[in-house]
Amino acid sequence: MSVPDTAARWHPTLLSSCALATTAAEARYRVNAPEFTRRSSRVIALDGESARIVRELGGRSWGGGHFLVFESAVPDDALLRHSGTEGTGTEGTGSGGTALLSEELAGADTVVMIASAGANAEAASVIGDAAAARGIMSAGLVLPGGDSVNEVVSALRPNAMVLVVLRDAADVPEVLSALRV
Amino acid sequence: MLKQEINDLLTQTGPGTPMGEMFRQYWLPAMLAEELPENDCPPVRVKLLSERLIAFRDSEGRYGLMDEFCAHRGVSLWFGRNEEGGLRCSYHGWKYDVTGQAIEIPSEPDERHSALCAKIKLKSYPMVKIGGVLWAYLGDQAKTPDLPQWEFARVPAEQSFTSKRWQECNWLQALEGGIDSSHVSWLHSDGLKSDPLFKGAQGNKYNLADRKPFFEVVESEGGLMIGVRRNAEEGHYYWRITPWVMPSFTMIPPRGDHPIHGHFWIPIDDENCWVFTYDYHPTRALTETEVQHMQDGKGVHNEFVPGTFRPLQNKDNDYMMDRAAQKRGDTYSGVKGISMQDASLQESMGPIVDRTKERLVSTDSGIIMARRKLWRAVEALRDEGITPPGVDVAHQEVRSAAVVLPADQSFIEGCADALRVRPGEKHASV
Repeated sequence: MSVPDTAARWHPTLLSSCALATTAAEARYRVNAPEFTRRSSRVIALDGESARIVRELGGRSWGGGHFLVFESAVPDDALLRHSGTEGTGTEGTGSGGTALLSEELAGADTVVMIASAGANAEAASVIGDAAAARGIMSAGLVLPGGDSVNEVVSALRPNAMVLVVLRDAADVPEVLSALRV
Repeated sequence: MLKQEINDLLTQTGPGTPMGEMFRQYWLPAMLAEELPENDCPPVRVKLLSERLIAFRDSEGRYGLMDEFCAHRGVSLWFGRNEEGGLRCSYHGWKYDVTGQAIEIPSEPDERHSALCAKIKLKSYPMVKIGGVLWAYLGDQAKTPDLPQWEFARVPAEQSFTSKRWQECNWLQALEGGIDSSHVSWLHSDGLKSDPLFKGAQGNKYNLADRKPFFEVVESEGGLMIGVRRNAEEGHYYWRITPWVMPSFTMIPPRGDHPIHGHFWIPIDDENCWVFTYDYHPTRALTETEVQHMQDGKGVHNEFVPGTFRPLQNKDNDYMMDRAAQKRGDTYSGVKGISMQDASLQESMGPIVDRTKERLVSTDSGIIMARRKLWRAVEALRDEGITPPGVDVAHQEVRSAAVVLPADQSFIEGCADALRVRPGEKHASV
């Protein structure tokens, strides 16, 4: 391989000007600015089993995510029920209160749907379509549930850009933490 | 985002560390077989999992992998003489067999010789040749698992090619690149059009036409199956499915009738890893042209600094960055070649990337789940002695696939057979 002209003409003056600056010692000079704007996630349970998990998660401390349960479709919208506890990251929305999907999506940048056997396709469709229309990234976490998992995945597939089929429901909080919900 | 203690847990693989203990449950690629080409050939220094070892092939063709340093005065046995059934230290003539057992201590009187030899044994590990690779097992000998069954190593020699290269970063960030399917449409977009080991496949058109793929991550017995779907003809999706088998095996979905390729990422120490890169075809010999391309660094292979396993494009030369080629669109990043495009960016993250500061998005779900599975397996081994996934040879009998399926079909259903090794049958590829 011949050396491209641009590489031949220019030689880095300092260690930090070239790829050699990838040592652990050089890493201490990386900019250590605060985390950029807080993510605004909506975690929405689509069925009874996932609602149980979302309610349990909603009681923990998160980075600003709202934990919600799909209640019903209403004309051009959907009714959601809050599962968070006041003061634990749900920004003043007390547990048990309701909100419209359109209101929740207004400030959201990520929607994570959680579904198990029995998840209704209509819920996934309403939420997925609304997120897509607003350019919001949507993901689905499918809980373990035997043979019916394929049906749940099929229901979610058209509506979630990312689907994760879990073998252990205990992984849900870890996945959400990794996403900084 | 990972907590610092979990990042440490997953990235540290030296003796006594939890992840190090997990790596020591597996047969690992240690060397290319060509590094020890004949009986009594020169020994080779090998560092694996932060252990400095010496590898040699004795007069009877047996492979040895043991502590690099002589038990006597700590001299490197790389300076030794490989002769007459053992490796002899050049300093005082102490000689060891392939198990590390001392078999000669010339300075000792005859009457004491046998007794002293019996007491001196260097730490050693079994090493076997399967395919073009020498595999080592660095764990408890009483728990030695069945020999590896990876298809690329089990097909006839003329159907397979393996190279290895040094990558100057921790193994985990290199592996994560292998299961991060969303970068392909960007970083490697040039390769689909021009690389002789990729171009011409029908699937490439789907790749290039749809740069916003959807992802499905499904747990498997051995690790994960990561499916990426793009639009194909009306009512159909083009799926590319990448298996990851723990701890560090991946197989890239094939393109047309090109050979299938993939990687093993093996820790050298916590800041360096070996990347073993294989290419094989399940049903036919590789052509001379294909092998030549692989030796020339095409596909997922790379060129080398002559006489070494260091890539020709490396930190010392800024990976031969070519801004003109980048501007022309010949390459997306300005770095030439799939493997060096990956390595340059992964090395730029630092020797061990600080995962407390990253900002993952949902398309990183494959990475998130892989970390979670590793973490779970490390804890299960440490706390309960549970053998991790991927040790069972049944988990190793996987294939990648590239298929077009009806829109309503899951890839797990539609590719149930395609994702398993089927000896004598072609891989599923478009």
